[in-house]
This record gives sequence, structure tokens and C-alpha cells, in this order.
Amino acid sequence: MLRPALTFKLSVLLACIGVLASGATGYYAYRANRTMLVNEAEHSLLTSTELLGQRFAASIDDVAADALVLATMPSSASVAQTNDGVSASPGRERLAQVYSSFMLHHREYLQIRLITRQHYGLEVIRFDRDADGLVRVEGRKLQEKGQFAYVFDTFAFAPGRIYTSPISVNHEYGTHAAEGKPTLRIGTPVADFNGSVVGVVVIDIDLAGMLKRLQSDLPSDYQVYLANEWGDFLVHPDASKTFGFDRGRRVLMQDSFSVTKPLFEQTQSEVLVNGLAHPRQASGQVLAFVRRPFGGSEGSRFIVLGLAKPLGDVLSGANLLGNRIIRMVLIFSGLSVLLAILFARALTKPLHQLAYAATHLFAEHAMHTLPLKRTDEIGVLARCFDRLRREIKAQMDALHAKQRELVHLATHDVLTGLPNRMLFMQKLESAIEQASRRDQGLAVLFVDLDRFKQINDQFGHSVGDKVLAAVALRLEQVLCAGDVIARLGGDEFIVLIEGPRVAQAAPGIASRIMDSLNETLLMDGHSMTVGASIGISQFPDDSGTAEELLLNADAAMYAAKSGGRCGYLRYQDVLDARRHEQAGFARARAGEGAAEGREAEPTA
Amino acid sequence: MFRAVLTLLLGAVFGLGFAASARAEAGGKVLRVLAWPGYADADVVKAFEQRYQVKVEVTLVDSDEALWALMHGKDAPSFDVLAANTAEIRRYMQANLLAPLDLSRLPNTKKQLPRFQALDSIEGLTSAGKVYAIPFTYSSMGLIYDRKQIPVAPRSMRELWNPRYRGKVLDFNSAQHNFSFTALALGYPHPFQLNAAQMRTIAHKLIDLRRNLLTYYTLPEEATAFFIQHKVALMFGNYGTQQVELLRRAGADVGYVIPDEGALAWLDCWSITRSASDRPLALAWINYMLEPGVSALLTQRQGLANTLSAPVDNSGSAHIVWIGPVEDIQRREELWARIVSGDRSEQF
Repeated sequence: MLRPALTFKLSVLLACIGVLASGATGYYAYRANRTMLVNEAEHSLLTSTELLGQRFAASIDDVAADALVLATMPSSASVAQTNDGVSASPGRERLAQVYSSFMLHHREYLQIRLITRQHYGLEVIRFDRDADGLVRVEGRKLQEKGQFAYVFDTFAFAPGRIYTSPISVNHEYGTHAAEGKPTLRIGTPVADFNGSVVGVVVIDIDLAGMLKRLQSDLPSDYQVYLANEWGDFLVHPDASKTFGFDRGRRVLMQDSFSVTKPLFEQTQSEVLVNGLAHPRQASGQVLAFVRRPFGGSEGSRFIVLGLAKPLGDVLSGANLLGNRIIRMVLIFSGLSVLLAILFARALTKPLHQLAYAATHLFAEHAMHTLPLKRTDEIGVLARCFDRLRREIKAQMDALHAKQRELVHLATHDVLTGLPNRMLFMQKLESAIEQASRRDQGLAVLFVDLDRFKQINDQFGHSVGDKVLAAVALRLEQVLCAGDVIARLGGDEFIVLIEGPRVAQAAPGIASRIMDSLNETLLMDGHSMTVGASIGISQFPDDSGTAEELLLNADAAMYAAKSGGRCGYLRYQDVLDARRHEQAGFARARAGEGAAEGREAEPTA
Repeated sequence: MFRAVLTLLLGAVFGLGFAASARAEAGGKVLRVLAWPGYADADVVKAFEQRYQVKVEVTLVDSDEALWALMHGKDAPSFDVLAANTAEIRRYMQANLLAPLDLSRLPNTKKQLPRFQALDSIEGLTSAGKVYAIPFTYSSMGLIYDRKQIPVAPRSMRELWNPRYRGKVLDFNSAQHNFSFTALALGYPHPFQLNAAQMRTIAHKLIDLRRNLLTYYTLPEEATAFFIQHKVALMFGNYGTQQVELLRRAGADVGYVIPDEGALAWLDCWSITRSASDRPLALAWINYMLEPGVSALLTQRQGLANTLSAPVDNSGSAHIVWIGPVEDIQRREELWARIVSGDRSEQF
């Protein structure tokens, strides 16, 4: 019987291949889906960032348009030229009303000022904002601003051009709500009729407020980053990282996100990075950065805007799919295990059958299960095996027949077909054993033909041989089927009789044999009478061993033959006769002793 | 969950291991340093971080006022080491913000020039026999001028007010020094101890100066940019020779002069704050700063003098006024904020 190891191994191997294939397919589907989702998120983020940047630039442009409107008011130049801010001026007051309405309508304007070139850049009209609303700064509280870049740089501009300041924290004294706020300043020159610049209009924008408004429609999980042209963070989810330069510790975007370096080197205008492909650069986030020039053509001012979306939110869809894939993979793995077992069994079943047939080579029933009708390799193997088995069986049968013949030859007399001495002795021994076990007796009849020698001499050996065969036949006819007849050699036969009361039956049987052999034989036209002498020995009376029983029967036969034509004698009779003889001899000796008259010896 | 399961599945077959996570950041110790631009460049800091397996957080300051504000910040992290000039050191010492230094832990002080080893001779570094600061670098605050526009070197601070240079003058945005050098320019005997009348006079004088300025600067790089872009003629060199170096590197043909009435000079020293969490580490930082290789960088990169080697062009005859503690910093700063923001002289 084949051990189940092969089926098991094959099942495990096939199951592994199945599980592996479905697992790998699932995993790569999941991976591809994640990458796809992240790419999609990146592009939508990029669009949002670009949009935000556009809105930012558009808002700055709106502010610039406002500044231009104020700068080109017909009275602007004259107010800037003729005013020291202190003395009464109806023209200035009318203009101030326009300024205040601009302040009212733009909540992200922290200050709007008209600054004259005279008086060291004195503010002529100035509106601030505080917690309660608008504050008009007037008279002696107006300040000289000529020392600030947003003033002296704007003075250098041609009318109609727009100055855009760097984004900085406002540290000017007395600016109300603007103090300490991230501020972007937009300035534009005010020119007189000759086109010479006599003042500037400056609008201070609350950057945080503006960005808040711009990003108000972004999804709440988006995070906004904003850096100035040097990379300093101006907006960062962690407020402590913004305006680091103002606190002496710069926090740069290109240090936090090294992918943004090309933006500041101005070799690229947008970059994308995600935490899936670059976990070090953007841990757990998908980020899009866009460089956005603003403030028209003056200088090369730009900002870098970034939007971040948590990677987890982006991948939530992938996780949903992932769970489905797991389920699918598990189901397919289960199926593949099942199929693997079935397949392995189907594959090893004919092997089992062949193995069974090989171990039960000559059992006919083992052959019925062989898959002889299969057309595949296993069928070929089975047929070959069957043919091989048939050949072996045929040769084995021939061998067995030969063996049986040899055994028969070894234990039987060729001439008469009767068992020979060797077989007879075996049978006798087993009969003795059996008889002693059953407490029964048995008799051995030694038959010796009386006139065989003369027949042989007179008619030749061939007739002699025929006579012997005829004798054997007659003996078989006389005796029962259960009795054993054997030829010891020459003209000697021996008969074993078993059964109860054999002691009584033996002489009768001997006499029947005698009668049968005394009948005349007709052989080749010659009539003859063989005749026989028989000696009988009996178990257990005469001996307990086969050899002695045979010797005793021989002795009895010899006594019968030498005693003339009495035919048969029992060994017991021979012993009796011998005892009788000895007694007679003893009497004769005793008679002689008495005649001499001496003394009588005690008898034993 | 999905990833874990898949990794398990695949891992069982392939025997995949999880990639070893990146090595955790060593130590976890942080040294917080308050320094001025050029004192703790990134490479210098990195070398220290690697040697001691710590993280160094450098906060740069551009004025004494900013330094004072940071040291008193409410939500700001407490600092371990700071660099400040002698006058400021004395101020911090008096405010009980500094910890005494164990000189035996600073073997590099033995390499300093003798005049910087004699700590008792420098006012403001010692108190009750204990040392609170170690000199690191020094510079005078003279005048820097464009040799093309001003062929003859100016001899007085008063040149800053010269209307010839209107809109071509740069000033440093700092309350204390402006009041002090104006006092020197006006010939006041005690530039750090001004009375109310002197303060008022100086405030008006500083408004006059403002009206003559292009603008104020805070960082040397900023000053250099203004100098080049706006063809500045003259400026108060708060960073002294450090700025001269920067300007020359930027292509400006500048001269540096100590005016006749004298120039303020600062001597910056390293100190350890009382709140320093790891004093041995802070001492190691100071000792590291005094290593010849590190101190020499001050001269090479910043044009500043270090305390280990004598400067080549030693103008020994120049009138140097070591800056000292001023009478009322708050008052000076209040006035200064208004001056800088553009308040008119009638307001004072």
C-alpha cells in the first residue's frame, strides 16, 4: 500500500500554487489601485492648488486695480502735492471718503494710505482697521514713511505700475489691527499732469484673512502651505513654523519638502509628491506645490502654494477594495485548496491501483481495478503492467506443474503409480501420530509375491512389469479408498490400514488380498498365478514406530513365507510361535537335567 | 488590515521580512542655542551633533532686543546657550538668568589671547568671583562708505546726517546703538547713561537721521542688498568688519572707518542659561566654539575677529567704546519704535 505522502505533498504544492497565484494577483491589483488613486488625488490636488494660486494672483490683481483706481482719482495728485495732512483741505476730505468706502468693502484691507513724496513720505490720507471697524489716522498722528521700501521703491516706478512687497510681519508702530500681522503691500505711484510721481497709494492686505477666504471652499481635510520666494513658510498647518524669519529661526519649505527645491530654483513650476512613493518626503500625505508669480511684471515675486491631503483619506477607497480582495483571495485560496486535493487524489488514484495490483500480483480481483481502458500514459502503464503480470503468471504456472511432477516422481513408484517407500513412511508416521492421538490402532501388511521371480525368469521383464502393475491394480480393488498401498521395491508391496477395530479386520483383509492374488492372471497369452505371503504388524501392540512396524511386518511375512503355504501371519503369531518353541526347548532341557538327576533350577 | 494580511500570505510563501525601520534618531537630547548669524553655521552644528549624538536647535537673532524678547518669551522653548555682547551679558547676569561656568570644563579657553583670558579685566563677565561668560568674537561698529561716492574717508558719525547723501544712507534697526552712537556724535560724555533732555535731543536727531536715510536694515545680507541695489553711499556698520567682508564679496568697493569721536564696539560671549537642562552639553558647545577650526571660520566666513588669534590690520590707535549697559532700555525702545515707524518730530 502506497503511503498518502505523495497525495499530501501534491495537494500542498498545488494548494500553495493556487493560494500564491490568487494572493499575488490580489496584492498587485491592490497596489495598482492604490497608485492609481494617489495619482488621481495628486492631479486633483494640483488642479486645486493651481486654482488657489490663480485666485490668489487674481485677488492681488484686484487689489492692484483698486490701488490704480485710487491713484488715478482726479484729485489724488493735487492732494498729494499740496497737503501736509494737518491743515484743512476739502479736496482731501472728499478723497478720504472714497478711501473709507474701499476699506468698508474690502475686509482684508488692513490699511489704505495716500503718501506724498514731500515731507519725507508723509501719509496724507490713512485708514487703519481695528476691532471696532475703521480708524482714520489724522493730523499729527500721520507718520513719515519715506524710509520704507514699499514707499521709496514705488516712487521709483512709472505711473500705472504696481509695486508688490515681500510678505512680512508688520512691525510698524501704531498701525492698529495691522500690527504683528502677516502683510502684503500693494503700491502704485500717483502722478500729476506732467506724469511726474508726486505720491503713492499703498494698500496693506491681511494675508491670513485673504487666504482663509480663498481656501474656504476647499475640503476640510486639505492643508494649505504657503511660502515666499525664499521658501520661508507663511502658512503652515503648524503655525509655529510660519514667519520663522521674523523670530530668527527660518523654516524653509525646501528643507521641509526637498522636492520643492526646483520651484525655488525656478526650473519647475509645479511638483507633486506623495507618501506612498516617497514616505520620507511626504509622510502620510499627498502634496501638490505650485509656484505662482504675482503682482504683474515688476520684479520676480512669486509664492509657492502647497495643498496636502491625508494619504489615508485618499486610500480609503483602496482599503475598501482591499477588503474585498482579501475576501476574494480567501475564497479562491479555499477553492484552490479543494481543487488541489481533488486533483492530487485523481492523479494518485491510478498509482494506488497499480501499487495495489503489484502487491497482489496473482489476486484476480486486484486486476479488475486497473485502469486498462484509459488512453493516457497511465492507461499505457496499466496495460504494460497487466501484460507483464500475465507473462509472469504463465511462467509461474508452468514452474508449479513441473514442481508437482517432480514431487510426484520423488514419492511414487513409476511402474505402478503407487507411493514409494519414502512417501509411505511419511504417511505411516502421520497415521501413527493421528492414531495415538485418537487412541486407535492401525495395521501394516507386508505383501511379498511368491512366484514373481519365476514369472520374470520365464516370461521376461516386460511381462514382469505388467504383472506388478496388475498386482497393484488388484490390491487397489481389494482395499478401501482410505487404505494406503505402496510399492517398496522388487516384488514387495505394503499396505496401511487405519480405522477402529483394525486388529480384528486385518487378517480378513490379508486373506482377501491372498485370494485376489491367487487368482489366475492372463498376461500376453500366458496364464499365471502370482500368489503372495503377507506379514501383519499392528500399532500399538507390535511397536510404536513406523520403522519397527515395517520391520515387524517384514519379519512376520518372512515367517509366513518360510512356514510353507499358510499365506499370512501376524507378528503376534510369530512371537507366540517363538515363545512356544522356546518353552518346548526349555522343557527338553529340563528333561535332560532330571535325567542326570542332580538338582532343579528355579524357574523365572 | 489588507496589507497585513497580504504580507502574511506572501510572507508565508516567500519568507519576506519586514524592512528594518529607519534607525531611530539618536539620543533625543536637544541643545537649544541662541546665536547670531554666522556663529553656528549648519556644517559647524552638524559636526557637533555627530560628535555628541545630540540635536542642536539654533535660533538666530538680529538684535539685542530680539535676544532679550526671546529669553523672556512665554511660550518659547527655554534656551541652553546664548551668545550676547558684554553689556547684555551683564544685564542677563543681573536678571539672574545665567549660570556660572566651570572653566575646567572649557580647556580651549587656554588657547585664547591673553587679553581675553583675563576675564576680570572685561566688565560684565564675572560676578562674585564666578565667571558667567566666555569671549567669542568682537567687532567695532564703524562707518562703511562707498569709496567711489566718498573718495575721502569720513571722519565723523555726523556724516550720516549729511544732506548730500540723502536717501543714500543705511542705519541699523536697533534702539540702543542708535541712541549711543548719536550721543557719541553729539559729544556726550556718557553715551550709555543719558538724561531725559539728552534723550529728547537725540530722538529729534534720530528723526533727522531717518529723514536722511534710504532705510533701516537688520541683517547684514539685507544691508548688502540695499547697498548694491540703491547705490548707498554711507552706512552705520553694526556688524563692523563682518559686513565689509560681505559687501566686498558682493562687489562693492567699500571702506571701513572708526570715526574720530569713537566707535561703539561689541564683544560677544557665550553663556549658559540658568534653565539649561544639560549643562555639561552646553559647556561642550562653548568649548567646541573655541576650537581653532571653528573660531577661525568666524574670520574666514564672516570677517569677524576671533579670540584665539590677533587680527592682521589691528588699528590700535582707534577710539573704541565698549558698549555698556544703558540707563533705560525700555524707554529707548519705545522711542525707537516710534522713530522707525515715522512719527514726526513734533510728537516728541
